[in-house]
Amino acid sequence: MKFFFVIKQTFSNLWRERTPVVATILTICIALTILVALFEISFVLYDQLRDLESNMMVEVYLDPSATDSQVKVIQSELERYPTIERLRFVSKETAAAIFNEEFGENIMDILDENPLPVSFEVRLLREFNHSEYLALFKTQVESLKGVDEVHYRHALIEKLEKVTEAVAIAGIFVLIILVFAMNLLIRNTIKLSVYAKRRQIDIMKILGAGNLLIRMPYILEGAIEGFIGGFLSAICLIFAHKFIAGSFALVEIGTSTYKVLWVLTISFGILIGFLTSATSVGRFVNKIFAKK
Amino acid sequence: MIQFRQVTVNYGYVPGALKDINLQMHDGDFTLILGPTGSGKSTLLRLIYMDILPSSGVVTVDKWSSFRISPRQINRLRRNIGVVFQDFKLIDNMSVFDNVALPLVIEGYRRKYIRKLVHVLLDEVNLLQSKDQRASTLSLGEKQRVAIARAMAKNPFVVIADEPTGNLDREASKNVLSLLERINRNGTSVIMATHDYELIKETPYKRIYMENGEVLPGDRTINIPNKRINILANKE
Ligand SMILES: Nc1ncnc2c1ncn2[C@@H]1O[C@H](COP(=O)(O)OP(=O)(O)OP(=O)(O)O)[C@@H](O)[C@H]1O
Ligand SMILES: [Mg+2]
Repeated sequence: MKFFFVIKQTFSNLWRERTPVVATILTICIALTILVALFEISFVLYDQLRDLESNMMVEVYLDPSATDSQVKVIQSELERYPTIERLRFVSKETAAAIFNEEFGENIMDILDENPLPVSFEVRLLREFNHSEYLALFKTQVESLKGVDEVHYRHALIEKLEKVTEAVAIAGIFVLIILVFAMNLLIRNTIKLSVYAKRRQIDIMKILGAGNLLIRMPYILEGAIEGFIGGFLSAICLIFAHKFIAGSFALVEIGTSTYKVLWVLTISFGILIGFLTSATSVGRFVNKIFAKK
Repeated sequence: MIQFRQVTVNYGYVPGALKDINLQMHDGDFTLILGPTGSGKSTLLRLIYMDILPSSGVVTVDKWSSFRISPRQINRLRRNIGVVFQDFKLIDNMSVFDNVALPLVIEGYRRKYIRKLVHVLLDEVNLLQSKDQRASTLSLGEKQRVAIARAMAKNPFVVIADEPTGNLDREASKNVLSLLERINRNGTSVIMATHDYELIKETPYKRIYMENGEVLPGDRTINIPNKRINILANKE
């Protein structure tokens, strides 16, 4: 019977304060949608970055004037790098063959002689494929005698790194602001409900009701706001996915991701609703009866 | 038994709402608390259901003592006491049934048992036909009868009534008094604070007369004509 009483009280609270409750639920919905979207975007970006990193090839071009013995020295220097996963020597001929394969034309037909430099193709261990190490590797190797240039797609990787970082930082900022906003609004509805029911709370206290029974309806009220907000947010996100997936090749989402979305938004909504109301209801109740 | 030993109550910085009260009320008694406005009647009663605790001294109610009592024990105590107020303290937007059921819900009883018991209680106060009405739609006399039914729900050892007839007309007042008398005849103590001298003047019950936060010695309320005038004069 206690259970029914609490449930009845909870829904009567939600109904009584419906305007602020709806505003709160919408805020939770919007906040969670933005948060999860940001989370997903940074996830996709990170994925791209990883992809790029693991496929990245560093090319060490040698001077056309490098002698055979210089090439040998460079090779043995490179072989001593523990950060290198794979090393391949690309002779003039191999380079020409690659050119031929990629462009469908024989370079010798265009020019009289083979202008392609001798090079080493280097694949670094995956965890060293970030711009900081790459830059170091480049200066070290370029200082070797006979090395012309170390080349990798640094512009792209740096840009992607910067964007990923920026999104992550923005995400944390937005997270703080939105959690704060949700907190504020949930507390507001709890406060209004407690205030509206102050007479009832007073009566229940006189009849010997414990703290838990008195507070439970308000705690549940917050949790339900969070639940509905999270539920709506999942719907928004799934719509957004359906819409984006058509026009955006980046985001490919399976049904398992939808399940994750439901669980993520709803549980986060309930959690923030529950925690906010559970930690504030006692204070509101005490404040109202402090004057006694 | 209810016992006050050297009890003093100060509200905030205002001293002397009660001054050095020593009292005993025995189980099964019907006790009247009389005295002019501001004499400390409500304060005395609030000490019994421990809405306030004494500033000094000790109040003992049945097996509970106000000395270092925990909030949990205060709730226990309250669940063993019935309370009735001048302003009824009903939950207006709940039904009559739900109001009477509230102490039973708080106790955690089962729905079936609650339904049976509330029926009996409402029948006792002659309001069974109004059980589904909102409390706010009742007349004042009916409201007080609902409050009395609620106070009796847990079959308490004592019912405390603070000016239960303060808002009622003569007819309803008599009805409330006779209900409390019936409760008392069944073995429950009743402690009632009242201004309504007319209502209780014929009754044989024990009287405690208060003035200025003190209990006047002896049973003189009824016997001193001046006091009688005082009580009535102070009501205005
Ligand atoms: N919450 C409070 N804060 C400060 N003073 C209070 C408070 N309640 C009561 N008092 C004071 O304590 C004294 C006793 O008040 P109490 O309410 O017990 O009197 P009473 O006999 O019940 O009066 P009434 O017949 O008007 O109900 C009065 O002087 C009153 O002003
Ligand atoms: Mg009073």
